[in-house]
Amino acid sequence: MIKTIQWIVVTLILCISVSTAFSQGLSPPSNVTAVDTANDNGSSITIKWDAAAEDSGISGYQILRRIADGDLETIGDLLPAGTTTYVDSAIEGGTAYTYVVRAVSETEATVDSEQTAPVQGTGEWFHTEKTSLFIAMLLFSAAIVWNIYDARSGKEVFVRRIPGLEAVDEAIGRATEMGRSILYVLGLGGVSGVATVASMTILAQVARRTADYETPLRVPCNDPIVMNVVREMVKTAYLEEGHPDAYNEENIFFLTEDQFAYAAGVDGIMVREKPATVFLQGSFAAESLILAETGNSIGAIQIAGTDSEHQLPFFIAACDYTLIGEELYAASAYLSKEPMLLGSLRGQDWGKVLIFGAIALGVILELSGITWITTLLQRVN
Amino acid sequence: MKRQVPLVLCFLFGVVMCFTQFSPHSFSQSIYDEVVYWALIMAPFALAVGTITLIQTHVIRIRRRTEHWQYSFVVFAGLLTMVAIGLPFGPQHPAFAWLFNNVQVPLDATMFSLLAFLIASAAFRAFRARTFEASLLLISAMIVLIGNVPVGDLIWNTVLSWLPWDNGASEARQWILGNPNLSARRGIILGVSLGVISQAIRLILGIERSYIGGGD
Repeated sequence: MIKTIQWIVVTLILCISVSTAFSQGLSPPSNVTAVDTANDNGSSITIKWDAAAEDSGISGYQILRRIADGDLETIGDLLPAGTTTYVDSAIEGGTAYTYVVRAVSETEATVDSEQTAPVQGTGEWFHTEKTSLFIAMLLFSAAIVWNIYDARSGKEVFVRRIPGLEAVDEAIGRATEMGRSILYVLGLGGVSGVATVASMTILAQVARRTADYETPLRVPCNDPIVMNVVREMVKTAYLEEGHPDAYNEENIFFLTEDQFAYAAGVDGIMVREKPATVFLQGSFAAESLILAETGNSIGAIQIAGTDSEHQLPFFIAACDYTLIGEELYAASAYLSKEPMLLGSLRGQDWGKVLIFGAIALGVILELSGITWITTLLQRVN
Repeated sequence: MKRQVPLVLCFLFGVVMCFTQFSPHSFSQSIYDEVVYWALIMAPFALAVGTITLIQTHVIRIRRRTEHWQYSFVVFAGLLTMVAIGLPFGPQHPAFAWLFNNVQVPLDATMFSLLAFLIASAAFRAFRARTFEASLLLISAMIVLIGNVPVGDLIWNTVLSWLPWDNGASEARQWILGNPNLSARRGIILGVSLGVISQAIRLILGIERSYIGGGD
């Protein structure tokens, strides 16, 4: 008996709400589709429907979801009128879902769309919108690898003069003549930072020269793992140069991981020990000028290099030589003169030619009203 | 063997991690997350290595009575105090938080505030108009400085009122930052990006191997 009364009440409410909706001219959302979201890990389904006319009286949309033969459940908040897409990100893999889009009027009358076909979320193995980026990466990598192996055949690779790297020998020689130490600062990056790895490769070259000249090389580190790697590298350099006795492990030490405490520590070393040469190579932030100005105040010859473009002006203002951006990554090849490393520099230049060509072509096409290259780049972005 | 194993691992992980960037599938993303998670395991070891090295360095300083060796006791006092409070009571303990907020933060702020004076001294040297480029830098810097302050446009509109442009200081500043400055920055960023890719390829292929150190 109670069930019968409940059924009558529910039916009456439904009839009243539907009749109210139709009396206000509220039409159900049309062309509702639910598809697996493209280029995701299978964790979402995209529901789309056509935009309603401006005078449709719809004040918002509510999305309802059904799993297999279960009940319809409301998901998410009420979407504003004008919305035509909803991404359901709360789904489980391997489960089929059907959706209903409910139009809601200002008087809270509702009307439901037809139920969509069942759909499952599926992860894609390749992000199709990154195809152009993937091709560009392959082309650029192929150019570098080709040049590396071409350089092995003995072809001479021209590298333009980089004053900051030309000055390395002079700076080390100066410290040796003055009987003072060399301070090598690797910056704040960890061992996973590419700039730190580039800095470490320069340090390996510097260590070879300091081993020959038997000049003390001091390396205060910001990261304990970097310190261990650097110790191993410098030790190897001293061994290979035939001066293992000149290597002193205590000269490569951990200072602190804190940015400004590190800056204070390095400044203290500069002021106390007055090194003749200071190398500031790697990843730097706000402490760059604190270090560079202190180095300047003690009269040390300073060679800086970083890929942090915001810190470059500080280094240029305060240091004698500055490796700008990519020169930091070219340093290892420049100093070692290894053909394979030099070949990779030529590959880099090919990449630059390609990019500048694309920029020039893009400007010409854009000025001519052809926008496909801009659209392509926006899609990659 | 000591060099070959790291090179092989570097190649494998380098290639796999690169391709996870192009594959949104949950399997490849789980590999990516797992490898990043492994990297976190190194953090406690790094902490231990760092602490031991720090203690060794300062013990040697005290033993050899090097210049300002007394400050090494301050290092030990700070280290022991923070460990004595932080280890049993955790970093949320009021004493730990008080020490952090009233010792560490002001010390950091002191170092950071030095920048204001250092920028002035560096700018003084950099802006000396000895060459054409330095003169250009000086003029650009003056325009940007004037354009950045609220009174800049007032000065422009008063002193240069005969010019056809109103609020020229802020507009000139905007033009300098948005055109020559931004172009140069983007050029540097492009070069850096290509350099990073090139360096990564050299590392993955094992051509750049000086970071591995010695041993066969």
